[in-house]
Amino acid sequence: MADEKSGADQHRRKVLRAALWGGGLGGLGALGGIAARKTAGDPPAARKPPLGPEFSYDVSRFQASDPELVQWHEVTRFDAGFERPRNLALAPGGDLLVCGDGGVRRFDAGGGELGFVAIDGPVHAVAGLADGGLLAGRPDGVERIGPDGGLAAVWELDGVLPVSLAVAEGRVYLADAGGRVVRVLDHDGRTLGVIGERDPDRGVEGFVVPSPYFCVRLAADGLLRIANPGKHRIGAWTQDGTLELSWGRPSYAVDGFCGCCNPVSFALLPDGGYVTGEKGLPRVKTYDDRGDFTGIVAGPGDFPDYLKAAQAGRPKAASAGIYVEADAAGRVFVLDSLGGTLRVMRRKEESDG
Amino acid sequence: MSRREMLSGGLRGLGLLGIGGATGALATRERRDDEVWQIDPDACIQCGLCATECVLEVSAVKTVHSHGMCGYCELCTGYFEPDPVALDEGAENQLCPTAAIERTYIEHPYYEYRILPDLCVGCGKCVKGCNMFGNGSLYLQVNHDRCVDCNRCAIAGACPAGAFRLVPRATPYRLRGEEET
Repeated sequence: MADEKSGADQHRRKVLRAALWGGGLGGLGALGGIAARKTAGDPPAARKPPLGPEFSYDVSRFQASDPELVQWHEVTRFDAGFERPRNLALAPGGDLLVCGDGGVRRFDAGGGELGFVAIDGPVHAVAGLADGGLLAGRPDGVERIGPDGGLAAVWELDGVLPVSLAVAEGRVYLADAGGRVVRVLDHDGRTLGVIGERDPDRGVEGFVVPSPYFCVRLAADGLLRIANPGKHRIGAWTQDGTLELSWGRPSYAVDGFCGCCNPVSFALLPDGGYVTGEKGLPRVKTYDDRGDFTGIVAGPGDFPDYLKAAQAGRPKAASAGIYVEADAAGRVFVLDSLGGTLRVMRRKEESDG
Repeated sequence: MSRREMLSGGLRGLGLLGIGGATGALATRERRDDEVWQIDPDACIQCGLCATECVLEVSAVKTVHSHGMCGYCELCTGYFEPDPVALDEGAENQLCPTAAIERTYIEHPYYEYRILPDLCVGCGKCVKGCNMFGNGSLYLQVNHDRCVDCNRCAIAGACPAGAFRLVPRATPYRLRGEEET
């Protein structure tokens, strides 16, 4: 009996010893595996010095605004009702129309929402009609909405990307960022003509529209104002398509238009001047009727989220425009499409009423 | 100890050694053989570390250019210094510190921009300029004919934006539009 017990103990001891050896070797194997993985194919990194200042992209010197030039202040701001609002327009009755993905919202100047019209897809352009209806530009067409908010007509325009609309008596001017021309339509959507078509034989270089920002407005003098964003200019055109004059220069300085394509939007002030919106360096500025810089409405510092996203190298920020509109009462409306807000601005010397 | 006991103990030990080794290797797996490292251009913040953290003397990360997306801008913010003296190829006007972008006239007012990979160090300065003002047609990618395929990519470990991803070796690039380097 005692011999049997001693034999069993011996066997247990041997198994334990073998297991311990095995465990130890297994552990060593694991360490070996880790070491092999850590070194296989991983050449040692040579210590490199950090990059010098010549390798950093720095536009901070253009981000500060001279307080002497800031002549406007914010009266109020409100949520534009879209995650990504795309444009705005003032309707003849004074309502604000804001378009975005999925439709158009109508607001009063204080931000009270008056209505919503659902439209499939992204709506890049909007314009109010005298009858209380509106036009909504979306890829490959325009939808005409009646005063009751119902769909009145659809204008199918294959290959056309309407990004701005201006309405005149019997005519609609449609800025087509795809075709890089302004299309002239009647109020039934029939094409009457084209403005600014590239024609090298006649020395017409056409509009330069690198991104879908291409603004058209009808001025009180009867001439169209059309942005040429790739050339950093705004031109005055007759309604039959003759360029009368243009102004603007490319510059990051406050009196110029920065980046590859600006201004992305502009509106006409009651005194015949302009208010402009820029992307990249988000800023809103005013110019007189001859195109001379007159002041800042909102500078880059007024769009901190936009600036932060742009500096982090997010293309979404660069592609988010700052859209502007102005009314006869002297108010300027600023739509920040990244922040999704609409701001109402007034000149500092004027009352808020 | 009998010969049989010694043999069985040894075999058991070898087996455990093998299992342990395999476990160790699996526990530290960073990249499978059918995977490679690549940059997600939408996550990249152009911090500059791609230029300094790569184990190669000159980084395997290079700017690539989607010509299909490019606006062919006269004032390209990936090519020109902010507020250049003139819109020409003068060195003082060029943004790239290593002159790794070639500008070619196409027709007024359009220009083509082409990356010279032998000169590009992957700093991302041009990408920052393009993303901030343009449409992001310039972006960074790991150039796989230069990358030495480290298991643990040194840049991936340093990337503050987590933009380095393991992607299938069969589709090693994260491209925007139609790419040419």
